Amino acid sequence: MVSIKASYTKMLEFLGKELSMEEFEELLSFAKTEIDDYVKEEDMLVLDIKTSNRPDLWCVEGMIREIKGILDMEKGIPSYEVKESGFSVKVDSALASSRPYIACAIAKKINLDDFHIKQLMQHSEKIDNSYGRKRKRSSIGMYNLSMIQNPVLYETAQKTHKFIPLGYEKEMTLDKILDEHEKGLEFGQIVKDYGIYPILLSADGMTLSLPPVINSNDVGRITEDTTECLIEVTGTNFETVNVVLNILCQTMADHGADIYSVVIEYPPEIHKEQVITPILELESITVELDIIEKYLDVKIDAAKAKELMQKRRFECKELEDNKIEVLIPPYRKDILHWVDIAEEIAIALDYNKIGPTKWKVLTTGGLLPETESENLVREILVGASGIELVTNILTDPNILTTNVNLDKQELVIIENPVSQTYSVLRNQIFPNLINVVSKNTHEPYPQIIFEVGEVVKMDKNDVWTQTNAAFCIADADASFEDAHKRLHHLMKLLNTEYKIENITHPSFTDGRCGIISINDIQCGIIGEINPLILEKNQIWVPVVCFEVELPSIPTLKCKIKKTY
Amino acid sequence: MSSVKKKISLTPEVVKLYKEISLKDEISIDELKNITKLDHGKLEYLLGALTSNNLVERIIEVKKKVLLTEAGEIAAVNQLVERRILSVLKENQPINSSELSNLLDCDNRELNAGIGYLKKQGLIDIVQGQISLSQTELEVSKDIQDILVELSKGNKVDIQNYEKALLQRNLITIEDEKKIIIKTIVKFEEMKKNIVETSDISRLTPEMIRNGTWRKTKLREYNLDVSPPEFFTGRKQPYARFLDEVKQKLVAFGFQEMRGPIVELEYWNFDALFQAQDHPAREWSDVYRIARPSKGKLPKEGHVKLVQKAHEDGYDTGSKGWRYKWDPMKSARLVLRAQGTSVSARTLVDLPIPSKYFSISRCFRPDTTDVTHLSEFNQAEGIVCDPSITFRDLLGILETFAIEISEAPNYTFKPDYYPFTEPSVELSVKDPKIGHIEYGGAGIFRPEVTRPFGIDEPVIAWGLGVDRLFMVKYGITDIRELYSYKLDWLRSARML
Repeated sequence: MVSIKASYTKMLEFLGKELSMEEFEELLSFAKTEIDDYVKEEDMLVLDIKTSNRPDLWCVEGMIREIKGILDMEKGIPSYEVKESGFSVKVDSALASSRPYIACAIAKKINLDDFHIKQLMQHSEKIDNSYGRKRKRSSIGMYNLSMIQNPVLYETAQKTHKFIPLGYEKEMTLDKILDEHEKGLEFGQIVKDYGIYPILLSADGMTLSLPPVINSNDVGRITEDTTECLIEVTGTNFETVNVVLNILCQTMADHGADIYSVVIEYPPEIHKEQVITPILELESITVELDIIEKYLDVKIDAAKAKELMQKRRFECKELEDNKIEVLIPPYRKDILHWVDIAEEIAIALDYNKIGPTKWKVLTTGGLLPETESENLVREILVGASGIELVTNILTDPNILTTNVNLDKQELVIIENPVSQTYSVLRNQIFPNLINVVSKNTHEPYPQIIFEVGEVVKMDKNDVWTQTNAAFCIADADASFEDAHKRLHHLMKLLNTEYKIENITHPSFTDGRCGIISINDIQCGIIGEINPLILEKNQIWVPVVCFEVELPSIPTLKCKIKKTY
Repeated sequence: MSSVKKKISLTPEVVKLYKEISLKDEISIDELKNITKLDHGKLEYLLGALTSNNLVERIIEVKKKVLLTEAGEIAAVNQLVERRILSVLKENQPINSSELSNLLDCDNRELNAGIGYLKKQGLIDIVQGQISLSQTELEVSKDIQDILVELSKGNKVDIQNYEKALLQRNLITIEDEKKIIIKTIVKFEEMKKNIVETSDISRLTPEMIRNGTWRKTKLREYNLDVSPPEFFTGRKQPYARFLDEVKQKLVAFGFQEMRGPIVELEYWNFDALFQAQDHPAREWSDVYRIARPSKGKLPKEGHVKLVQKAHEDGYDTGSKGWRYKWDPMKSARLVLRAQGTSVSARTLVDLPIPSKYFSISRCFRPDTTDVTHLSEFNQAEGIVCDPSITFRDLLGILETFAIEISEAPNYTFKPDYYPFTEPSVELSVKDPKIGHIEYGGAGIFRPEVTRPFGIDEPVIAWGLGVDRLFMVKYGITDIRELYSYKLDWLRSARML
């Protein structure tokens, strides 16, 4: 999902239609966009665009393009004439294994007000971040054309190469930019991984930018007064850099700018021939209407299909045998398969106008045996006066170790936790219950709680998920017997023989703790919590508890779930 | 008294007390305590039976009580200091203040206050430290002295005009005296016929049942106005119980349950769902990676190769695929299950047709916890597969969910996006209070997802935001409450 901000009034102005907020929101849904918020004082809409594969929609112009189709204000693929600029870009073969591709265009007669300039910047940033994979796959640069001399050179530079980066007043060397400039810190790693420094220069040697990190301060700044600019997209994927350029050119053209092409002169190591960008030849996909009709369960002939596809800003040719050839606008690369065309047709028909069918796939339903088993245990433990809890599986390592007087445990650890509170997976449940008791010392006793829930365990070869049941009683009168009688009751009702053998365990009081085993397999623990722990957690009443691994109870049908 | 009075049941103890009170029109509770010899608690308890039947009323009178302070007591006996100074002066004048102090045996502060007072009244002169009377035959502060004397005798005195002076000179204190008066509303004699004497026995005992004395015993009636003590039972966690209900409904619709592991291979969480290996949803910011162990093993089955092909060139689906080199090492990385659809992906292996599956599974995303976000939440999702399935059936399934599970008749369908389905639909429900809520979504799995598992039939994948559903249904605004540690809420959360 991509979130952008835009002025409500300006959007309607650009659409050229008066609409209520509700009507507008409904139309936006055709562009897979929702209004997340509207700040009335600033006339600002916060829009959430749900597609991660339609960067052309991540701007006012793109959404309006889509809406104009739905409203029949415009139809088919928007087109504009591209003239030759005479400019070329010479690509150095040294870039072959790092960031080899570039796509360029020139826009003239640009007449963008402050709002649309900001939109353009916002759009570029969103594309760089998401579609461009944080500039790794592609990044956009725009420059004031009047300062650039033909040809433009895309080559590599020494780390001692200097220029003034955007927002600075003094020249900096490339390695200094990577280590000190805010954009260098953010995106510098991409360049560091290349081992070379890509550089974009004007024919006279003036630096345009250090792609994908930062533009040069003066030539690389676009303002309301800019009327002619060079747009470039560099990256690691030929198709990506070209589609991103096409999106930007379309936006410029929507505002009435003239678009000029640029010749990209690739060395043979990168691309076998020169390329003239933007590449606006239309790709197409041939679709059998019978298949679409069956897939969507709607009736559409070729004429209707054409009308619907034009509404979605495609072009369409009728072929023989009830087939159509759909021409794809050059700013879209998300059409991989005919199912993508099926969706376009369904959207053009309006989901709410395609009637839902009644329930028809008849199958027998059922819970998994393990869920039935867990429910049985839950039922018995509720009957044993337990209040059920659902606590976090992703938890704080302290809760599982120091808080219950345990040393290091074999815990599954998260590599990128947001905070320590959620940084390991629980391997047993009773420490969570102790934590709950410690958080409720102001509540009346007895506190009788339990949880039947998943835990994650691991050994050398495997990681697996299993369900445990833990029960806990906190009360001034609580003793081993209170836990024991409930465990016994549970096992009796589950028709399972079990044994408890004395054991020393740091979480429990010596002589009042036992290990539970079934068929000689150890599968649980029971005992009075060590007062050391009570004191530490500021629990001022005795606490007793037990925990059993449900997969070890032979009469139940709980299974462990291995990850691999 | 012409009105018909209803019968009133009272225990013998209460009747006895009623008679006692009824002898007088009103009686203070202290007096009553003396007469009845009952302790305070018992007396109040018995009175309760009379007041609740409107036979007597309990009136609290607040009276001001004037008490002498220690200084006041002394002044009552020894006379006020200014009076004592005057009487000394009458005998010995002129006199200096230290001699005066010796004769009077009082501290200097008090003495100076007395001298000051007399000077102000123009009764004495002080010349070069020598004090002498300016007039003869004098009386001073007589009224105050009289009041003090009366108070010390325990008599009632009207102090109104002197209250301020007395308080200022710290001679008296005034306390509120609470007096509880029991006043008869209906005389015992009038009520007599309507009183049914009941027993003092509060509970039936096993002996009474066995030996038959229960026949002659009338148990004390229970006071129905008293709220009972709090009662804590064992109970299911409200949210877990709600999820049970949702499962029950899904089973009723013919869905089979499925489950998967919490620690998941990226393969099942992403690759099998046709999410490209550089897809933004696979970034650090969107999925929890496991530090230890960091990698698992890919399944040995043939579908891994076909999933790879689907990514690289679309396999045999006619799709262009993502056109990059698929890396099995990335796919073998371990993550916390970020979407319930990973469970569906696992179910695609040897999927029976027709079939309907659901799972309610705990999913994890690196969100900062707040009222609308948790790093751990539940997703209900599943699949439907049948050769006859179409897009309209997908809408039909969502419609059924909207009506039967979300209980929301005002729903609309909106175009949506999931990397693994096409078309994709959002189920949006209009709540009168909250506005549009995204309750769920669905789509038809892309062939790039199903073909590697040998499935040619359309498979609908759907999901429901059960966390959200529960919150709206039970009016919960903070999502953290779903996994609440608050025993108070767990004990008393309403079920309806």
